[in-house]
Amino acid sequence: MSLTLRALLKSPWVFHLATGSCNNCDIEVLDCLTPRFDIERFGMLLAPSIKHADVLLVTGACNRKSAIRLKRLYDQAPKPCVVVAIGECSLSRGIFMPSYNCPVPLDKIVPVDAYIPGCPPKPEAIISGVVKLIQKIKGSL
Amino acid sequence: MTREEIINDLKERFKEDIIDVFDKSSRRVYIEIKPEALVKVASYIFKDLKARFNIASGVDTRLHIEILYHFTLEYINLLISLRVKLNREKPEIDSLAPSFKGANWIEREMHELLGINFKGHPDLRRLLLAPEWPKGVYPLRCDYEEWDKNAIRDRGV
Repeated sequence: MSLTLRALLKSPWVFHLATGSCNNCDIEVLDCLTPRFDIERFGMLLAPSIKHADVLLVTGACNRKSAIRLKRLYDQAPKPCVVVAIGECSLSRGIFMPSYNCPVPLDKIVPVDAYIPGCPPKPEAIISGVVKLIQKIKGSL
Repeated sequence: MTREEIINDLKERFKEDIIDVFDKSSRRVYIEIKPEALVKVASYIFKDLKARFNIASGVDTRLHIEILYHFTLEYINLLISLRVKLNREKPEIDSLAPSFKGANWIEREMHELLGINFKGHPDLRRLLLAPEWPKGVYPLRCDYEEWDKNAIRDRGV
């Protein structure tokens, strides 16, 4: 395993992006950071800028305007960058599938490494998803 | 003034312009007016009755394009909704934005989503839709059809 990847998995810094979600998934993500679930014990920390982050965490059905911003953020992220989709909207657009403003799902815009379903997913589900993702990257190398 | 006094005052003052008054409940009244008289009635309710302009909502009802302007009279706990019905072929109405600033953005939004032309609006630009959205396509109309050939409309499973 390369040194960068080992460092990434030891303490992944997370950048949280809401692409037009209803904020419920965002609340659950923030709940992960609070002392009750305390995702920081896995070394995860919310980064203020994508340029400092290893993980791009996306919630919400990407609409026409935020899809451009999402692509721009992904291009700015230092590679290797892991993309995690949280919630039904970012997985398959949920009820916004026929919506005039959500033409393409998230995984057609950027490559997605982990999907965490739920509307909204519980903090336990988010933690389990992220831990599985770390195991997958470790195992595949 | 009490609730009844205000409703009777409006009925008396604008009896030429009011088409219908629907007394929904103790806290809500719908007043349908002629589109030409909107600025006059709305300014009276806003400036003289000291109402708060909550929001306006546009609906495409297939027969007309309707706009509801919601005003709250907080001192008597009454919500007045002014209803105007516009011609579906060419929806046009005078803008309220010159009278009060709060109407500016919601009129821009109704303009882009329903295609209502607000005459006299200071700045009728787009508010929410993406720049590549074609002109003359209004997503909240009943007869809206998909224009984007690249859109994917399945779950991908």
